[in-house]
Amino acid sequence: MISLPPSERDLHAYVDQQLSDADRRLVDTFLASNAEVAAQVRAWQQDAQQLRAALSGALQQPANPNLDPALIRQRLKRQSRRHLASAAVLLIAVSVGGFSGWQAREMMLISAMPPMTDALQAYRLIAQQGILPADYKVSDDGDMQGWLDRYFTQANRLPDLSAAGFKPVSGRLLSTEQGPAAMVVYEDQGGHKISFYVRPPGPKNYLLPRGSRSDGELQAEYWSGGGYNYAMVSPSDTPAAQMLKQTVQF
Amino acid sequence: MPGVSLVQSVVTSQNFMNDIDGQLREIIPRLRRFAVSLTRNPSSADDLVQSCLERALSSWRDKRPDGDLRAWLFSILYRQFLDAHRRSRRYARMLEFFTGRDDSQPSVERTVIAQSTLQAFDQLTTEQRALLLWVSVEGLSYKEVAEILDVPTGTVMSRLSRARQALRQLSDGEITRPSLRRLK
Repeated sequence: MISLPPSERDLHAYVDQQLSDADRRLVDTFLASNAEVAAQVRAWQQDAQQLRAALSGALQQPANPNLDPALIRQRLKRQSRRHLASAAVLLIAVSVGGFSGWQAREMMLISAMPPMTDALQAYRLIAQQGILPADYKVSDDGDMQGWLDRYFTQANRLPDLSAAGFKPVSGRLLSTEQGPAAMVVYEDQGGHKISFYVRPPGPKNYLLPRGSRSDGELQAEYWSGGGYNYAMVSPSDTPAAQMLKQTVQF
Repeated sequence: MPGVSLVQSVVTSQNFMNDIDGQLREIIPRLRRFAVSLTRNPSSADDLVQSCLERALSSWRDKRPDGDLRAWLFSILYRQFLDAHRRSRRYARMLEFFTGRDDSQPSVERTVIAQSTLQAFDQLTTEQRALLLWVSVEGLSYKEVAEILDVPTGTVMSRLSRARQALRQLSDGEITRPSLRRLK
């Protein structure tokens, strides 16, 4: 309950209709016998009224399609996928090379870590989940080798898998702690994917003997040559994996 | 059957989003009006509304309070405006340093030709414009405004009182001398 005479705050609350009914009646009665205050209050009310009228036009603007919530939602989803993609690159870098610093233990740790884990991760992110978009796509003729040569001059040639129906279709650059890496995705008519992965051996020049291992549903063939480490990754238990294992000579 | 319940939950969340979008669509004209009153420029106002909606949609799940949706959106938009304004003011000061000009301040000319309520309103400070729009035009409660500004209700009332006096003076033309300026 307010007390009379009403304070200035009470008068504003009166103008803004934020008083209780009882208080409102009290102020009404007060204003009826205080012309000067009443004029002041009326002026405020008029200002508010005029402001409402003046600003009502601004509600009638033609709609801006860019502001549609459904559209914004879609845009946000695309953005977060892109953020996820750059986070994924970081993840590869961290999980592969997060051990540097302890010189004495480094070799041990690297050798304890299965070789070319980053190649498998890259396959999952790029070939399977499609999270990272390709940097380069082959148009008609196979100039994938040319693209790769721009970054890895003395690397082994891309293996020719055309006999098995696989052709290079896209390439993607990645950063790892061992240095820049590239992954080339091969695809056959049925959409099966094999990746060719190349990167420097890292500061410790950790070269790999020719080997093969499986990790979850994937299988990797790896080797070294021309100053780089390589891996070819494909889903295990597929004809493609068998082919890589048995027939392809690197 | 897990398949069915998955479908159901997808449908439910779809309905939920449609519901949110519907509520937002109703408020968007009000957000745009508020943004124009802050920026005084329709296209940067829409940019502001867009980034406000982006923020709202991406933090809906964990930030959305129970109260009035409008008040929440106003408060997001207002903060974003202040942040952007602060940045551009810093930039303007730098520009002024190099060019010796300051475009961000209203000129004397602009100050004296307030004749309509809208012109008077445009000359108030940012916070005064926001306050009057929230209270007089949108009809938010003092408490809601206090939450947006993160100040006590009493402070809202005294600032509102100053804003009203300022608007009154400007539209009364107490500091208006247009003829004098025009003749010069």
